[in-house]
Amino acid sequence: MALRDKDSDAQERQLAAYAPRVYGLLVRMVGNRDTAEDLTQETLLRAFRAFETYRPEGKFRAWIFRIARNAARDWLRRRPLEPALGFDADWLEAAPASPRRQSRPEDRLLHGERASKVEAALRRLPAPDREILLLRYYGELAFNDIAKVTGEPLGTVLARAHRALKKMAELVPEEEP
Amino acid sequence: MTRCPKPEMWVRYAAGELADRPRRALQTHLESCDACRREVRDLARGLEAMESLEREPALRPEMLDTLHRRLRVAAANRSTRPRVITLVARYGWAAAAAAVLVVALVLNLPKPTVPAALPGNHQAESLQEVAAAIELLRVADNGTTPLPPQNLFPADRQNELDLLLELDDAGLLLDYFMSQDKLQG
Repeated sequence: MALRDKDSDAQERQLAAYAPRVYGLLVRMVGNRDTAEDLTQETLLRAFRAFETYRPEGKFRAWIFRIARNAARDWLRRRPLEPALGFDADWLEAAPASPRRQSRPEDRLLHGERASKVEAALRRLPAPDREILLLRYYGELAFNDIAKVTGEPLGTVLARAHRALKKMAELVPEEEP
Repeated sequence: MTRCPKPEMWVRYAAGELADRPRRALQTHLESCDACRREVRDLARGLEAMESLEREPALRPEMLDTLHRRLRVAAANRSTRPRVITLVARYGWAAAAAAVLVVALVLNLPKPTVPAALPGNHQAESLQEVAAAIELLRVADNGTTPLPPQNLFPADRQNELDLLLELDDAGLLLDYFMSQDKLQG
């Protein structure tokens, strides 16, 4: 059996831990579960191959999400047809509620209803605005880091975030206390 | 009442990204401005709505298996990478630039235009310069004939190359050119 590099093992574990969040971003960027799975793998493989040359100048997480975002953008540029709505209906299926949220059947129902409204609202945002919210949520990135990921000025990122958050507030009813 | 801050400032406030001093100044403004209070409430509601999504969605076990398998293959391939890639990955573009000069001298080639600094430092004068440098490295490593310039960037792989350039990663860029070599036989 070939000896495995200890670094490789550690890097593999480190990258695999990002898979769910990267997938969460990608499925909402490309709107298709199978494609998002493929792109998640591509993202983490690219990161793995680039580990040797990675310089810890910024946040590691921002680096990963930059690769993921660019992979999605590249796929969106190359896709053969522009779908009318562009999204599979299986987002919710792909994102089951956490155990905490599944504790009571009524909680599960309420959470599911609200999450589906949030999903619908996200789909109504312009793609660049949606991307900012997704990078913030799944990458837990500050707006400064998001600006580095997208290559846009911070002011542009904040203007997009402002527009997107206001729209989300308008489209998603307030949560019952 | 003080003048209302820009909406973008409220985004950072609602997201908790401001330092103490500006945050306190905005809080003072909020105490006397209904319009800004409404603004902040809307932004906070937008942020709160996102929390309804599962941050770490469950992945299919088959997909995770495939991912781990592919990562292990990539790890195994690391040890069999061509020496030039390993060296450049390890020592960076300084090694690449030095190698280009050495190759040019040994083979008595016309002196190449070696970029003062290559993409890792964002100072390469042009992509063509980077490509020319890498092409010389590849020729030296494989003993192949240099590709004509138009073949360095074939149209059908332009998207892939664009992505690699966006990633700004020397190792991946070299991998790209080595795979070009395989494609060209």
